[in-house]
Amino acid sequence: MVINAKFLNWLVTAFFAVIIAIVFQQIATSMTEQGIASGGPYNNGAAYPRSISIAIMILVAGQIFVDQFIASNAQKESNLHTIRDLRRPAMLLIIFAVYLGLLKFLGYHLTTTPLIFIIMLICGARSIIKLLFVAILVAFSFAFIFEEFLSVVLPGGIFSFNIPW
Amino acid sequence: MKFFRKIRTGLATVAIVTIGANAALADFPERTIEIIHPWGPGKAMAVSQLIAQAMGDELGVDMPVISTPGAAGTKAQITAMARPADGYTIFDGYVAPLVLQPVLGNADWNYSDFKPLQAAVSNAFSIGGRIGETRWSNFEEMMAYGQAHPGKLRYSSGSRNNLPHMVIAKALQSYNVVAQNIPYSQDGNAIKDLKSGVLDFAFVNVGNYIQDKSAFNILLVLSELDGAKASYDGAPNIIDLSVDLGLSGLAPMGWTWWIVNADTPDDVADKLRDAMAAAMARPDVRAAIEAVGFVPLDWNHSEYNDIVGPVAAQLGAMGNALKWEVEELGKLN
Amino acid sequence: MLLESLTAGFDLFFTPLAIGLTFIGILIGLLVGALPGLGPLMGIILLLPVAISLPPIAAMGFLIAIFVGGSCGGSISAILLRIPGTPLAAATLFDGYPMAQNGRASDAIGIAITSSAIGGLIGGIVLIIGSPILARFASGFAPPEYAMLAITGLFAIAIISGGSLFKGLTSGCLGLLLATIGTDEFSTGYRFTFDSYHMLNGFHIVAVVVGLFAVSEMALQIMGRDLLKIPDVKVARPGFRSIFLTLRHWKNLLRSSSIGVFFGALPGAGGVISSFTSYAIAKAWSKPEEKYGEGAEGGVVSVESANNATVGGTLVPTLALGIPGDASSAMLLGALLILGFIPGPILFEQQPEIVSGLFMVYMASNVFLLIAGLLVTPLFVYVLRIPKFYLIPIVLLLCSIGTFALQASVFDLMVMLGFGLVGILFRATNYPLSPIVIGLILGPVLENNLRRALLISQDGYWIFVERPVSAVLVTINIALVIGGIWYALQKMHIKRTGNDSGA
Repeated sequence: MVINAKFLNWLVTAFFAVIIAIVFQQIATSMTEQGIASGGPYNNGAAYPRSISIAIMILVAGQIFVDQFIASNAQKESNLHTIRDLRRPAMLLIIFAVYLGLLKFLGYHLTTTPLIFIIMLICGARSIIKLLFVAILVAFSFAFIFEEFLSVVLPGGIFSFNIPW
Repeated sequence: MKFFRKIRTGLATVAIVTIGANAALADFPERTIEIIHPWGPGKAMAVSQLIAQAMGDELGVDMPVISTPGAAGTKAQITAMARPADGYTIFDGYVAPLVLQPVLGNADWNYSDFKPLQAAVSNAFSIGGRIGETRWSNFEEMMAYGQAHPGKLRYSSGSRNNLPHMVIAKALQSYNVVAQNIPYSQDGNAIKDLKSGVLDFAFVNVGNYIQDKSAFNILLVLSELDGAKASYDGAPNIIDLSVDLGLSGLAPMGWTWWIVNADTPDDVADKLRDAMAAAMARPDVRAAIEAVGFVPLDWNHSEYNDIVGPVAAQLGAMGNALKWEVEELGKLN
Repeated sequence: MLLESLTAGFDLFFTPLAIGLTFIGILIGLLVGALPGLGPLMGIILLLPVAISLPPIAAMGFLIAIFVGGSCGGSISAILLRIPGTPLAAATLFDGYPMAQNGRASDAIGIAITSSAIGGLIGGIVLIIGSPILARFASGFAPPEYAMLAITGLFAIAIISGGSLFKGLTSGCLGLLLATIGTDEFSTGYRFTFDSYHMLNGFHIVAVVVGLFAVSEMALQIMGRDLLKIPDVKVARPGFRSIFLTLRHWKNLLRSSSIGVFFGALPGAGGVISSFTSYAIAKAWSKPEEKYGEGAEGGVVSVESANNATVGGTLVPTLALGIPGDASSAMLLGALLILGFIPGPILFEQQPEIVSGLFMVYMASNVFLLIAGLLVTPLFVYVLRIPKFYLIPIVLLLCSIGTFALQASVFDLMVMLGFGLVGILFRATNYPLSPIVIGLILGPVLENNLRRALLISQDGYWIFVERPVSAVLVTINIALVIGGIWYALQKMHIKRTGNDSGA
């Protein structure tokens, strides 16, 4: 399967449509309940986001018009990606999302070394011992720099696993 | 060499921690303690950093101040109280999130839900006009102008519905003057617009005042305390003009009382209290706090209810000034 | 006055920490510039969380040095690998790579670094003289002027930054909309917070920007087929001889630097436009025997001096007005705000020592660039040999620890990931990302000053034309819109006629 420009344009239009829908939904519900959806500039918190959303609507419509009727279709079909091309970035994002999800529960130290290791595997590297060494080195040196010099407290997770350097 | 020693102790502790001995409260504190601060960076945060630094010296750990602004300080208070009650998180309990927002119905806690460490600082404020104003020369003349021109005066209290706004609205209400508050996220911009004539008056705290004394005509000091009057070089205060705000002591000013989660063990809280008391007693710390226009406070945790209780009661009793202002402005439009 | 504005920051700058970090910033800047796909903006974004826990001048020295180093570093990979590390160095390729092929790689890099440093210093002189003047002029600006200026900044960036006018403006508006999330300062109501206390102050700008730029870039890079490849790089050892080689082109140097400063100070134009413009002018004014495009020293001089002079120029409106010239300076502005300093006339009035400290770190960065660039370039040649599979996890880790460090919040990490996805979608559909950053920074400036102006005004919208400066800005904004529409129509017309002739 090939992902073409048309599909992507549809996707980005849908993205803006969702954003605009959220704006109007929030104005109609939450902001109206709080009493900030009407009145002058002092009390009306809805007028400005509403105007910006309308501007986005007009601009996206303008872009669709340009794409449909004016722009040439000649270069449009370049830079295509197949689903196969997207396998690695998709894996990367999923692994990264899982990492961020686990971070709070397992803490920095138990999750970060595996993350680095797995990303290098996704990239296609296969020398396991070397990768493991690099992963441990990177994870701990980053933790040391941030915790020791910048006084950041990295997430300890449910085990409260923090290293007092 | 210190670096290598740290690595060595680090590795040694890794070994210990991995074995699973991390609940040694007797060794509190063994790592960084964070202070959650309810405002963006600025003078108030600098003052908290001063105290935190001195306290960190006492305890032998780093104590970074983390700025978590939002929703008049309530975001920071929620954030701090959601952390474990292990003494590693302290909340910089400013009056706005701690007392005022619950009074206004925007937060569901009470000041007595927390364990106090010690009072930190207070910050008095005043109503100031600019030098060279031709329409009036003192507060009463300005009020007369305001009565003649309802809704025409423009002022700023910093953010809307904060303590200065409440106190100024109360003062204006006592003269039956309706004025439009203009919210500013940065004091500096409000002061600039006051000086250039865009605003008619503004709240001026001691820090703003000492930065450029010659630019302001301090119309009214919003406190009955002599110390506050002195900070403004004897400008008229609410007693001089017999303005009855229904507020006394700390109630009409900004202050912060450092607090921790109520479930924090007593021995941990006591360690923090001792360290904070020692930090607040240091002459260099006091001098640095005073230099930015704040006043160091000396009340300890046993006086928390006696001091904060009346403030909460008084603020609760005067909440209608803000409502009155909104209603009166609504009638004019 | 000028002397005073320089000396006030002495004490703040002359600390081991500030000087050391400025130096390290140059090295990191050269590194992110040289590594293809990163660049100065990414360097600033990734290291901003590190910087904001430092004393202000050390922090800003670090970030400004990354900006300066990053604007130069791209030339190293352009000359050695024929891959411009950043778009800024795209025009360096025209003459830099042929020079390397003729066996003059060391000279080419040396000239690139020297021209960058000198261009940067010339930009700095303009910054030091120009920004206090602009700040003093702007000291009477009130909410109506700031509201109009914010619109000017946004329009200029969306219109001038190239690509589709509609897409640029849409991205800018998205930034404005994102800036409204959280507590509304005026009504004190909550907007788009979905009853979550995490959202009470909106999304943290760094979390958004790290996601948009860095996370999406890594997802893009991992699609490449050369992740394990160690690039084949020749060793280059530029020496101090390059300084003399560069100074022989002093006319070109002065001219290109002036072009760079000018485009820098205009919001939206930025380094890419200034480097191509100055290259074109240098080529047009060259003698035939210089052979531009086949390894002319003058080509490298013009591009590199222009793109670093742009940095100085872009800091002029950023510091004096609080209106950023491009996305990188928007992030510097964001860093200053997080550190508690509000760029604009008040900063010049009340904290001249900070302004002076910023001038000093900027000038020092360029001096360090010259020294460090000429001495450590051989090291960067080795850095260019680091295969990407090491780089991707390291950048992602830096993204996540850095974002977490801002306010110790796991929620911010989720925001970062979410905006990573948005970044990928926008890159795939050619929606520019920079206007989002500008929109985020200018959003509160625009909305709050607009509403403040209307509250201050006793007669509604008339306040915007009653005040002279505001009226001028209104006129400029109208002109920008008309100009933008005209330009877009022209482009469409050309495209259509092009199509017709092809068919």
